[in-house]
Amino acid sequence: MLKTTVVVIGGGATGVGILRDLSMRGVDTILVERDDLGYWTSSRFHGLLHSGGRYAVKDKEAAKECIEENTILRRIGRHCVEATESIFVRAPEDSEEYEHEWVKSCAECGISAIPISMDEAFKLEPNLSRKLLSAYRCPGAAIDGFRLLWQTVASANKYGGKAMTYMEVTGIETENGEVVGVRIRDRWTGREDKIACDFVISAAGSFSGEVAKLAGLTVNVKPSKGTLIAFNHRICNRVIHRLHKSSDADIFVPHGSITILGTTSIDSAPDDTSTETAEVVEMMKVGEVTFENIYDYRILRVFAGTRPLYSADPNAKGRSASRGFVALDHAHEGVKHFFSVCGGKFTTYRLMAEKVCNMVCEQLGVNEKCHTAEENLVDDPSPELINRAKAVFPSYGAELASSRLGNDKLERVIERIEKQPEMKELVCECENVTRAEIEEIAGEPTSHTVSDVRRRTRLGMGTCQGTFCAYRSVGAIDKEDVPWSKDTVNLCKDFLETRWKGIRPVLWGNMLRDIELTRAIYDAALNLSGVEDIK
Amino acid sequence: MRKSDILIIGNGISGLFAACIAADMGKKVQILSYGAGTLTIGGGIIDVLGYTDDGKPIENPVLGADKMASGHPYSKVGAQTVDKALRAFLKIAESEGFPYIGSPDKNQWVPTAIGNFKPSCLVPRTMNSQAIFDAENILVVGFDTMKDFYANMVTKNLRKHLKSDKNIEEFVVQLNFEYGRDLRDISAMDVARWLETKEGYNAFVNQVKAHIKNSTAIVLPPVLGLDPNYQILDSLEKDLGCKLVEVSSLPPAVTGTRLDKMLNSYAKKHGVQIIEKARVVGSEVADGKCQAVITEGFDRQRKFYADQFILATGGVYGGGLIAGIGSMVEPVFNINIDVPKVQTEWSYKHLFADKKQIFAQYGVNVDNDLTPVAADGSKIASNVKVVGRSLAGYDFCYEKSGNGVALITAYKAAAAFCGEA
Amino acid sequence: MAINKQHAIDPDKCTACTICITACPVTAATRKFRGPKMTGPALTRLRKLVSDDDPMLDYCSNCKTCDLVCPSGVPISTLNMMAKNEYYKTHPRKSRADDMLAHSEKMGKLITALPMGSTFAGMGMAIGKAFNMMNAMGITQNAKMPTYASESFISKFKKIKQTSYPRKVVFFSGCYINYNQPEVGVDLVKVYQKNEVEVAVDEKFVCCGSPMVSGGYIDDARINAAKNVKLLKGWVDKGYDIVTACTSCGLMLKQEYQELFDFAGMADYAEHMYDSIEYLAKLNDEGKFNTDFVENSTKYIYHAPCHLKVQAIGRPSMELLPLIPGMQIEEADAGCCGISGSYGFKADKNEIAMKVGSKLFARIKNSHADLGVSECGTCRLQMENGSGVHAIHPLTVFKKAYGL
Repeated sequence: MLKTTVVVIGGGATGVGILRDLSMRGVDTILVERDDLGYWTSSRFHGLLHSGGRYAVKDKEAAKECIEENTILRRIGRHCVEATESIFVRAPEDSEEYEHEWVKSCAECGISAIPISMDEAFKLEPNLSRKLLSAYRCPGAAIDGFRLLWQTVASANKYGGKAMTYMEVTGIETENGEVVGVRIRDRWTGREDKIACDFVISAAGSFSGEVAKLAGLTVNVKPSKGTLIAFNHRICNRVIHRLHKSSDADIFVPHGSITILGTTSIDSAPDDTSTETAEVVEMMKVGEVTFENIYDYRILRVFAGTRPLYSADPNAKGRSASRGFVALDHAHEGVKHFFSVCGGKFTTYRLMAEKVCNMVCEQLGVNEKCHTAEENLVDDPSPELINRAKAVFPSYGAELASSRLGNDKLERVIERIEKQPEMKELVCECENVTRAEIEEIAGEPTSHTVSDVRRRTRLGMGTCQGTFCAYRSVGAIDKEDVPWSKDTVNLCKDFLETRWKGIRPVLWGNMLRDIELTRAIYDAALNLSGVEDIK
Repeated sequence: MRKSDILIIGNGISGLFAACIAADMGKKVQILSYGAGTLTIGGGIIDVLGYTDDGKPIENPVLGADKMASGHPYSKVGAQTVDKALRAFLKIAESEGFPYIGSPDKNQWVPTAIGNFKPSCLVPRTMNSQAIFDAENILVVGFDTMKDFYANMVTKNLRKHLKSDKNIEEFVVQLNFEYGRDLRDISAMDVARWLETKEGYNAFVNQVKAHIKNSTAIVLPPVLGLDPNYQILDSLEKDLGCKLVEVSSLPPAVTGTRLDKMLNSYAKKHGVQIIEKARVVGSEVADGKCQAVITEGFDRQRKFYADQFILATGGVYGGGLIAGIGSMVEPVFNINIDVPKVQTEWSYKHLFADKKQIFAQYGVNVDNDLTPVAADGSKIASNVKVVGRSLAGYDFCYEKSGNGVALITAYKAAAAFCGEA
Repeated sequence: MAINKQHAIDPDKCTACTICITACPVTAATRKFRGPKMTGPALTRLRKLVSDDDPMLDYCSNCKTCDLVCPSGVPISTLNMMAKNEYYKTHPRKSRADDMLAHSEKMGKLITALPMGSTFAGMGMAIGKAFNMMNAMGITQNAKMPTYASESFISKFKKIKQTSYPRKVVFFSGCYINYNQPEVGVDLVKVYQKNEVEVAVDEKFVCCGSPMVSGGYIDDARINAAKNVKLLKGWVDKGYDIVTACTSCGLMLKQEYQELFDFAGMADYAEHMYDSIEYLAKLNDEGKFNTDFVENSTKYIYHAPCHLKVQAIGRPSMELLPLIPGMQIEEADAGCCGISGSYGFKADKNEIAMKVGSKLFARIKNSHADLGVSECGTCRLQMENGSGVHAIHPLTVFKKAYGL
């Protein structure tokens, strides 16, 4: 049995933010996540670090929160943030009055919105539609969800915080109306265990209702699904917003080597991450207003995530900690020291955590203030380390690897290559992922599937979507010290199936060509689905 | 006027083979090609029919082909053509000094780069897997810094598939290539080039020799030379005193390139003219016959005339079919392929669906003479035949029938145009 | 249909299939080159994201074999050249050879303008070699260098008396013919006159820019392109067809301009562009090709330049040369010669170039041919360098066949 002060349920942005905040205040905290970190909503979004511009007219308070947190995250999370800036563009069909109102609102919220001529805009972003009428530069940015989560946890680790992945909460135990612990089950080994604790904070996002049920409570979360399209390359180098009342499919975010277009909004089940062709077709129509050649750009895949929208239950006695999210203290319903946090935005994840932790610390009698805005998530790599990386990584690899890995792992990966130069071999040629990185991450106790390695390295997330690297990565990790590498045929198959899920709704053009190649390799040449016994 | 007897569009395996057959029969043949055929990324082996529709392994491909449901290219051309075409292929390979082994009526199990087996019909001698089943000892040979072959994985998986009395070991050859940031990764092609050098060859023999016991077969990646001949295989078998078997592997494909070179060589020797980078964008059809096809480049359109045309442009991958949102079209004759409007109905939920994928079977509908037909059954152009991957009705990945359908339909089309029905 | 400029920088069509890797001659010759797929489409995606030291970029020779075999129509080599152009804006050049070879027109002008004239010019670059300057400049000492003619083609052309015919072409001679082998240009005029075609030239034409593009000086090439495009369009508007006798010039003017630049009129004049032998083949198609040849018993071996293969015009020389009575000619069909314009003259590339061409050299030697034939000037030089067999332009074969 484990013992801690606080158990956080859910390894999304909110959960890891709370883990880091409490750990930094000296509160013993363990986070448990049923899947991998960021498996759900915190990776299934644009990867947009809002400037607040999108909310300036509708919700000034949210807009202000965004620009403040944006400024903080650019600083503390600089290795997850690509400070691209953003451009808001107005199309002929968008209201001119709205533009005026928006300019005024941005000024009121302290969001810099610099008007630029369309010539200037086209020079900055040559692919923008020539029909667009006006453009403003704002301080939006791109942010990598997977990386932010792992780096936040790495920061929490330094203060004793601990995160356990693939750990399902099977029960919340109470005594005399007070939380005393959670029962957990390791989803890989099936081993059951218990964590004794004084507080439980559910940050389970769209699954908050399910978690609350374990304590016999009701939390009314209404998940709303948003679909996103990933394009094969950087259509733009800045985030591009439509300057109109926020709507579907009006944001393009350049994200590493790709561009993400989103999103939509439709009521759904919490675990519904399916996507439909019809949605994509509709999104493309809207996207065409911003990028007129959108149909020429190759789609890599489509994906979806659910926003955990909180639906205020008339009987619930929660208090609103901030606009856009709620922290429910279930003491009002008879379970003390059990909180549920619902709603919120990725951009303001740190602020949400701060507010929730303030509430919890008050009850814990901890007076330590929040320090999360003051300290960087991970240290900058030293120039010496970068130079060592540049000496061994293939071109364009050092910088990418350093931002993917963080210092400690970067150093270990460099050592691997220094020892065995062939470890710089590119397993994933599309995203420049070396064999050393794959072996390093695969060997970590938190990795159980090729997809886990993918989330940490971007393996298989580029042009070929696993067509070449599925085989290579499975071959590379097939080692004694990687306990989950035994069934290589099924590892290949499973990895390709996860890639297929995002391609299936957009099976036209080069996406279908690529799938034909995938099948030709794995089915025709390697016979992955063939009959086992050959006499 | 630039005019040929038979104009073939596409220089993949089906286009090249049709050209070889027609040229053999004395026709003036021209090929219009745009990019190398997918042959050069394929395995270079002739899968004819490995599995039935419900996934049962097939022992005799000719018999299997005979039982295919109507709509399948084999049911259109008939089992007799299957046999004839494959024998014609064997003859060509023989005459090029790169004979294939196997017989149309028997499948063989070929090892793969992941360490399992796949059924195939005709294979080059470098992939004669009988040695694996005959030998008592299997030595899986990898190369220390080579990409895309993992001796440990192959060894482990081979142990699962082969009888337990076999002794299966791995051995990794040290390439001692220079390695560093500014040198690229090492591919099977690089190792094949190395084996073509004297130093490479000797280093290989010296390292491997000590590990050869009585009754040993070596399993290794496709590295036994880049050209369509068996010089390296023969010398190694002699010097090592054992058989060597290359695995079916992923691109870049040494084995596919050999077959491509072989067919090109035969075609050119027999007077086939190949025009490269010629993108065919349309055709001129009058009175139910194709008069010419039209190419387009950076300069201008050009017309190529012929008496007869063979469309060997491939499927979606090769560019012979273009898939759009809820649509699919064959661009040369502008044939609409009947596909569901909703994209998710093109496929099953799983990519490896344990049955033929739906989209894989989309293609041009033809009559039993391989003439393309419209939805109402009328011929689109009576002097056109469609061959290979452009055809509807089969899933080469699931069935393991890719190069087989290509060769067999190409043979049928070329022979029919040459008056041999 | 032209590749839209938008698409030239677009890596989207690539499916990473590796066909280009199996075909690339430089990849086969050295591991210092990462191969077309990586250098082109794959890294184009990453270059939009990060900048880094990329020494491999320099090794693409722009021979365009990758473009030739790509089943997806990816302008791989052009992506490489564009990346090279951008790269050298922020990275130092390896040697002065890049600059010198990319701007060979300057050298040509300089030498032919020298007062010493023929005595000096005949030696050409050999002077520099003698002074051991080449090494210092990063130019190989192992290859036979182009020599400069005592009189430029343009100057020679002015002395030729032509009969006027309704069928007229403007001949874009290019630097190599103008400064190094003017006799090929003279042969063109003679052969065309025999076919009742009147040839014009334009002194205002400048270097097509092909060596600049290959050297990563696309911005310089753009300046030349602007001039040439206007002139070429003007000639076409006057009813002239355009012919080139250098396949790299031809490819540059009709294809690479369209891939790289967006000047008006490019597609219009491209419609009227012909390789010099392709133009004769067109006459042959129309029944207008003069086949009044004398017998020729020389044994030839023909090498198709890479930049001809990629033009989608087949092998016009192999169509027409066999029409000469007694003609013994076979196609080498042995891949790239390795020189790729100026690539093989660079000190750090010469070994690669010779390795690339080794198959062709062996093929030429084994053929026991008397002469090599090829449309490309530097291919001919490389054929001689590698095999010792002298090589000539097909136009020269026709001139001889007409008894001229």
